[in-house]
Amino acid sequence: MTDSGTGTTTEEGEAARGGTDPGSRRTADLAVHLDGITKRFPGVVANDDVDLRVERGSVHALLGENGAGKTTLMNVLYGLYQPEGGRVVVDGEERSFDSPRDAIDAGIGMIHQHFMLVDTMTVAENIALGNEPRKWFGLAVDRKRINREIRDLCDRYGFDVDPGATVADLSVGAQQRVEILKALYRGADVLILDEPTAVLTPQEVEGLYDVLEELTAQGKTIIFITHKLGEATHAADEITVLRDGKSVGTVDPEGTTQDELAEYMVGREVLLEAEADPCETGDVVLSADDVVVEDERDVEVVSGIDLEIRSGEIFGIAGVDGNGQGELIEAITGLRTPDEGTITFDGEDVTDWSRRERIDAGMAYVPEDRHKQGLVMPFDLVENGVLGSQRSEEFANSGRIDWNAVRDHSEEIIETYDVRPPNPDADAVSLSGGNQQKFIVGREFERDPDLVVATHPTRGVDIGSTEFIHDRLLELRQEGVAILLVSSKLDEVRSLSDRLGVIYEGEFMDVTDPDDLTEEELGLLMAGQRPSENADADASFRGDGSGASGGRGGDGRDEPTGDSA
Amino acid sequence: MPMRDRLPIPESGYMQAVVGGGLVATVLFLALASPSTHTATLRLAVPIALAAIGGIFAEKSGVINIGIEGLLIVSAFTGVVVTFRLGSGESTLLISHHWWGLLAGVLVSTLFALVFAVVCIEFKADQIIAGLAVWLIALGLAPFVSRIVFESPNTATVGTFDNVTVPVLSELPLVGYLLFDTPPQVWIMLISAVLGWYLLSRTSFGRWVVASGENPKALDTAGVDVRKVRYAAVLLSGVFAGLGGAGFALGQLGTFAGGGETDIGGRGFIAIATYLFANYHPIGALAGSFLFAGLDAIQVRLQAAGYAVPTELIRTIPYVTVIIVLVFVGKTRLPEAAGENYESGED
Amino acid sequence: MRDRVERLLERLVRASAVERIAVSVAALFASILVGAVLVFVSGGFASCRTGLELAGWTFCYNPVQVYYELFLGAMGHPLQGGWSPMNYSLATTLQQTTLLIFTGLSVAVAFRAGLFNIGTQGQLVVGGLATAVSVVYAAAIVPGGLVGTIVLIPIGVLVGAIFGGLFGAIPGALKAYADANEVITTIMLNFVAVGVTSTLLSWQFQDPNSSNPQTQPVPEYAEIPTIPYVGFGGRMDFSLLAFAFAVALMVGVAWLLARTSFGYELRTSGVQPEAAAYGGVDDKRMVVSSMTLSGALGGIGGAFWVLMVHGRWLENVPELGFDGIAVSILAGNNPLGVGAAAFLFGILQSGSRSIGTATDVPPELVGVLSGLIILFVAMPEFFRMIGSRYVGVERERPARADGGEAGSDDGGDADA
Repeated sequence: MTDSGTGTTTEEGEAARGGTDPGSRRTADLAVHLDGITKRFPGVVANDDVDLRVERGSVHALLGENGAGKTTLMNVLYGLYQPEGGRVVVDGEERSFDSPRDAIDAGIGMIHQHFMLVDTMTVAENIALGNEPRKWFGLAVDRKRINREIRDLCDRYGFDVDPGATVADLSVGAQQRVEILKALYRGADVLILDEPTAVLTPQEVEGLYDVLEELTAQGKTIIFITHKLGEATHAADEITVLRDGKSVGTVDPEGTTQDELAEYMVGREVLLEAEADPCETGDVVLSADDVVVEDERDVEVVSGIDLEIRSGEIFGIAGVDGNGQGELIEAITGLRTPDEGTITFDGEDVTDWSRRERIDAGMAYVPEDRHKQGLVMPFDLVENGVLGSQRSEEFANSGRIDWNAVRDHSEEIIETYDVRPPNPDADAVSLSGGNQQKFIVGREFERDPDLVVATHPTRGVDIGSTEFIHDRLLELRQEGVAILLVSSKLDEVRSLSDRLGVIYEGEFMDVTDPDDLTEEELGLLMAGQRPSENADADASFRGDGSGASGGRGGDGRDEPTGDSA
Repeated sequence: MPMRDRLPIPESGYMQAVVGGGLVATVLFLALASPSTHTATLRLAVPIALAAIGGIFAEKSGVINIGIEGLLIVSAFTGVVVTFRLGSGESTLLISHHWWGLLAGVLVSTLFALVFAVVCIEFKADQIIAGLAVWLIALGLAPFVSRIVFESPNTATVGTFDNVTVPVLSELPLVGYLLFDTPPQVWIMLISAVLGWYLLSRTSFGRWVVASGENPKALDTAGVDVRKVRYAAVLLSGVFAGLGGAGFALGQLGTFAGGGETDIGGRGFIAIATYLFANYHPIGALAGSFLFAGLDAIQVRLQAAGYAVPTELIRTIPYVTVIIVLVFVGKTRLPEAAGENYESGED
Repeated sequence: MRDRVERLLERLVRASAVERIAVSVAALFASILVGAVLVFVSGGFASCRTGLELAGWTFCYNPVQVYYELFLGAMGHPLQGGWSPMNYSLATTLQQTTLLIFTGLSVAVAFRAGLFNIGTQGQLVVGGLATAVSVVYAAAIVPGGLVGTIVLIPIGVLVGAIFGGLFGAIPGALKAYADANEVITTIMLNFVAVGVTSTLLSWQFQDPNSSNPQTQPVPEYAEIPTIPYVGFGGRMDFSLLAFAFAVALMVGVAWLLARTSFGYELRTSGVQPEAAAYGGVDDKRMVVSSMTLSGALGGIGGAFWVLMVHGRWLENVPELGFDGIAVSILAGNNPLGVGAAAFLFGILQSGSRSIGTATDVPPELVGVLSGLIILFVAMPEFFRMIGSRYVGVERERPARADGGEAGSDDGGDADA
């Protein structure tokens, strides 16, 4: 803290308070205290009497499953939501934030999961947005001063960003550092990070941990929202677990096992047992041969992928989001035309086939984005039940849709897949995300397909329904359907897949039996490294990527085998 | 600091090509067309350029103001009516009634813009439909009021602004008659373009406008009220369009025909094509407006010259050009959040 | 039990059709109210012998009288003695209703596909000219009388539809393949349509026996026939047969949208293009085909304008296409609603003539009213706010998914 005296005006307040050594924290020194926060939305209590005590200079993890109310709680602290009950205490003072402006003024900064950056503007413009220093009687922005202040901040916290670069050109990790700088520029003492690792590569995650360490060393307080056990135990000094909008308790990661944490999160012990009999594969149903895809900006995002899926086989794709899996899937399902290579389906070259033809040929697809693609939000479930089949013989006769048959079909999906509320006349938009997903999965699985392409089939779905969807996937496999599974839940792809392709920057690092890979090896492959190349890197991935599953931890697969691949 | 930060020079190859082509066309136009066509071009550019500059602010902030045509109509009409009522050729408080007419035109246009802003921002109306409504209301209101005041859909003639002539400078070749012996609305247009560019690229307000159109949530979480920024931007579009409409009517037409498509005749829509063409650059929009105004001036000349080509067909040239331009600028990226209503985290 | 009542209430409140109708009716009343204020205030600036004296000002216009003339005049004053339903004013009202059903449907079909077709006017102009010319030329080789009627009218309507459709396909193709904004291109094409048809008229099709810019008349037997004894007389330029055809077409379009695969794909493309692409819809082709259909409907409007109203094409085409926008928006872009909205605008059109003769108020008032109606229909939130203040009905819908609020249950915290 020796350089705190030279800080710019925005940091002087922090300098005055900044004498606290992280090592000699007193329990009474709370940076943030949320006391009995209650926040309701129409039809749901997002936070129910939640308490949170965050010590100054610490990293505090807020752990919980999706929908546990973590983000809502932090939006309350950041002034985006006004709570119906409870107190917000910052630096020992009770506060009431009507807008983020108030929270910013109180020294709170938030780094949202979806970055709040304007892609077309430069780093400096983004960092100063809303806080621009002015010159010429306020008639112009003092850009020199912004650049100087950003440089000072970078020096101080060891960041390396170019203030003149356009945000859209930066890597995700760099954008995240811009977000952190933006908060610091505004004089934040408390930084809230919402799922900060979700979009990062494992290396970038390591970089983030270093940044957090540097920040707390200089007296900043970090609140870290996550649903990943490994991250919470690795990075946090304390962990508060939320479940169904309630706080389950605050624990010290040192004295708690991951199994216990998982139980706190989920409420009952999770044992993900999706192992099935070895598959009996048949003919090749889908093959991709040297597929190359360029995105809208003409950047090559899929670089020569080969794959082959046989009937009765589940082929999994693991990888950090944004490594080309989305574009590959779109090329296979017909939403995108590959720039090179061929795609063969049931023995026919379908590279130039339209989406329509591929659906008719027996391709089912659970899309990644259910709000935009999978469901027509203003339509009811009856109308959504025929999406994709609106011209198939089953429901349409010479251009006319048989709505009675469609209604029966939709009701069947609703019943079989336990969609709630069980009302076919409900608009898709009125359903919760998990129920929307169940309806899509049901519609696609019941298409009597030869191939199911399922991307994140259980995203946002509760545990019970997840198990059901997994069982149905395995049944389809048993029936001889070929399945291409993409999921960011590593335990899901690992346990369900018969073969697993690890994708990195548009190429498969490896295609193998998932049982031959340890989590460490998988993590390295996802980061673009082959395990043999860098054997000593595995320590850094301890616990990382284990997802929400606590049951996976002790099954003895964690020792590196070294000779796979 | 890179050069492009300091000077209004576009950075993309596409825009450089457009600018280059524009320069060649300008030289040819200046060399081949007559001085009267040059000045006509400059004056005909006024409503297009100013409406485009206004439209840039609204659309950059995320509100597509397709009703800009309506703003041109009401301001042009109001300018003429108020000047007529006060008595044209006279002055009050030492200021010519034409200037009071211009002021009134700007006020009414801004008032319309305010209604549009309330409807879009407060009541979350579909911006395109609300914009169409503004246009259609103006299209009905101008002849309605005109019939009450003049008992005809067309107004009486009030005459135009006097040219502002700078003694010595007006003797210079080309720039002399273009800039220093010219009606005031031309200067209003030129100054507005520079002012618009400055506001948008140099002030914090300009940055907020851009952020409000690209990622309103980012602006909101940075503590700036998105609604206020959008209100300001839409009102600004009313001010600029008002200057364009009233300046055109009082500086060029001297009267206003409210029947059919009115004297504005789609110039507000041409302005939209112009700023898309110019990729939301105010000075680029000024240059683009010269293209359409030049075509307009040429078609007027062709008609006057009495060539065998039917006048009706010649008259479509600017409109066809708009379509061609749109086909080529189809790739112009609209602000990410343009057309979307923004709701803060909680109402 | 309470649950059930609540669900029922929720259903009623959420029933979008009911809400749409409520919004449209409220918008209509709000526009009439604002229009009344406008009429009254503008009366203060008009000059007249007698008027309402108020604070030194003379207000010449009486809004109540204006609306009386507007609505009852359009029916031929049913409250006065000697009224017959087959009167000229009502014929004009229904004539306008018929034409506005076509243009309203044209706009509505495009809207439902997510496209703003402001170009119905141009499609009508082009289709109308094509109809007039084709019927005039075809009449030379087709026998007259009943046979002529049966052959020429379908030809005329078909040609109008084809040319209107082709003219509508242009902005569709520009949108699909060059990403040119259809709002601007269709507005520009309206101007182009006027220029091109005027040019064609003066080059080839001008009626040599007239100084008015117009085509030769179609033979009388090629005009839409009226029903003898039952319908309106021939001089009223209105045929119940044409009206029946418009209503049938309206039901047909409604059926097409609701019951067919094409209609389903069109609606899906309109509300969520990504979902349509996912569901196997070729988005580019859908844009072109829906604009073609929309243009064809506008062209049919032009055909009926020619064959029912004037018997020829005139250069000065009334703004039926623009009114079609108002009709469609007021109808919530619902084909069946178009009928009711077209009738209302038929009343406004016909009533504006009655205002023009019976009062000093400029008939352009009707143009302002249609603009106001669109403005108010565009802001349902306004009426919802008023509604919830007085009725206490809150919207029960969860916040929209893309707004992020619904994410508080589970949608937003996407993992990894």
